Amino acid sequence: MALTCVRCGAQNPDGNAYCQSCGTPLTPPGGVQTAVLTGPPPGMAPPPFSSAGYQSPYYAPSGVTAPVHRTPWMLIIAAVVAVVVILGGVGTVFSLVANHGSNAAGSGIGDIPSPSPETSPSPVASATPPPTLGATTESNDGFSVPVPQGWSVAAKDTETIVLTDPNGQGSVSIGSGSSVPAQTAQDNKNTVDGYFKSKYPDSRPCSGTSAQNTVFNSASGISWTVCFTLTSGSNTAPAAASLFAGANKSGSVYYVVMVLTRQENLQSYLNVTKPVLQGVHWKLS
Amino acid sequence: MQPAVFTTLFPHLGHQKIHEFRWAFIVGLAGILVLYIAGLITAAILVATFLVPVLYLIYLYEAQVYRDEPATVLGFTIGGGVVLGLVVTIIERALYNPYANVGNPLRGAGLSIAALLFVGLLVPVVQEVVKPLPALLLPNRADFPETVDGLVFGIAAGLGFSVAESLVAFSGALTGLPARLDPGNWIFDLTTLAVLQPLLQGSATGIIVAAIWRYRRGRLGQRELGGLVIAILAHVAFALGTQVLKDALVSQLFVLVWQALLVGALLVYVRYLLHHALLEEAAHMGYAETVCPNCHMHIVASGFCPNCGMALTAAPSAVKRARKPRTEARA
Repeated sequence: MALTCVRCGAQNPDGNAYCQSCGTPLTPPGGVQTAVLTGPPPGMAPPPFSSAGYQSPYYAPSGVTAPVHRTPWMLIIAAVVAVVVILGGVGTVFSLVANHGSNAAGSGIGDIPSPSPETSPSPVASATPPPTLGATTESNDGFSVPVPQGWSVAAKDTETIVLTDPNGQGSVSIGSGSSVPAQTAQDNKNTVDGYFKSKYPDSRPCSGTSAQNTVFNSASGISWTVCFTLTSGSNTAPAAASLFAGANKSGSVYYVVMVLTRQENLQSYLNVTKPVLQGVHWKLS
Repeated sequence: MQPAVFTTLFPHLGHQKIHEFRWAFIVGLAGILVLYIAGLITAAILVATFLVPVLYLIYLYEAQVYRDEPATVLGFTIGGGVVLGLVVTIIERALYNPYANVGNPLRGAGLSIAALLFVGLLVPVVQEVVKPLPALLLPNRADFPETVDGLVFGIAAGLGFSVAESLVAFSGALTGLPARLDPGNWIFDLTTLAVLQPLLQGSATGIIVAAIWRYRRGRLGQRELGGLVIAILAHVAFALGTQVLKDALVSQLFVLVWQALLVGALLVYVRYLLHHALLEEAAHMGYAETVCPNCHMHIVASGFCPNCGMALTAAPSAVKRARKPRTEARA
């Protein structure tokens, strides 16, 4: 009795569990599924076996047959366990030996001397910032900032300017604009913290640092330092951000400054960016 | 048609072996989870980078298909993929400054169009152009003319590329992170690294190389051309979507869901392509006495084993050479 494949219509001899023309499981007559002759799939010729009568799908081997290889399942599992143990061990030992991941500590944006009196709580236009050799000035609706020679403007809009140094070591991102509804400096800090937590896998305050109330170029707010693993494109590196988030008295204007670089580089990078940070001139109050 | 990972990407394995590889993969994932919970992130990154490629190496050995010339096949596909992955990713890092795309958290997410175009469009397209090269330059490719061979070579090259890309991308974390830290949200990146990225890179390149193999056999149709487009589009959507969702501060879980949907769609297309290729090529094999590489039965069959359903086009080359056409066997 022939078994007809429900998929391709090929006739298969008794004893076939699968169609030898298309690999579909076969159901014998009287089984749950009824074999239906549907013909081959579109574009395919009927299989040659259908016209050759019924033949046994099995034969008695004669002579040497090709050796068949089987890897024991224990070996396959063991290989994966070995990968976990060996690579896990290598990764851990490597981190212990080459651990440069100590959190950046020390000063932050808040410790950079402000060109305007710290007693001034209002971010009104400060005195003319100190000149920077070869610098140009970038400006938008919220502030102006000097751009030292060799630095470039990575992004700019009405509220934000992002500057990058010539060596690609980090960036300075500055923003100022209206807050609707009004936000306190603490509200703005919480928003910035949430941004880092949701964008990067392990954002946390750098060890040895704490948030402090600060006046940054006559804008009052909070400065703090965050350590995190920067993941962007094909780059993943331990990074740190020295941050400032502020607001005017009514909370209708926000101020934000972010200095980003590698963790171990933060202190020296703050010195590099000092001329930029000292030259920020807020326009909104 | 289901996005079954193992029966799609490991086409030479029988049903029993598929289960064994599936369990091995689960064991590997469990290992990564343990390392993550323990806060051993660098260790987890390394294991996640190598898990799928190592499984594929074991598969290539197990399947015996390329046992005659393993050094050539593995060197050109996986090795070539690694070399290209290193070169392309190092160039990508040199051109892309990750610090420049931080935006302004208080003004909503800052989406940089230039960064999006680079990371989400240019990089995936260049990768899909480059990744098939190792398989195309394989010196003994004429010995492996089946579509399933092209698929496996493409997947192997894509996985080699994926390993190198991950190692370069995470080199900063591997050398800079402390041995143990608060695991935080690392589970999302680890999932992408261990599962979704290798599957994307492998299956996209697999589709492209399989289509090229079909072209060489004079069987390039709309299905294969569609495969080329889908592979590139899926990779672009994967990279672009990931970047947009991350910049938009959408939950990382949604990023994973987006990535999984695209990889699932890609796997379904690989399966669809392979299924039709196997049927067509089986119809041209002719009836012969042979030994099923899966169940070891001595059978007279064309394209599929009547005992276990294994595709005989995916048999080791030694088994294929030992096939006796039915007329000859009768004589």
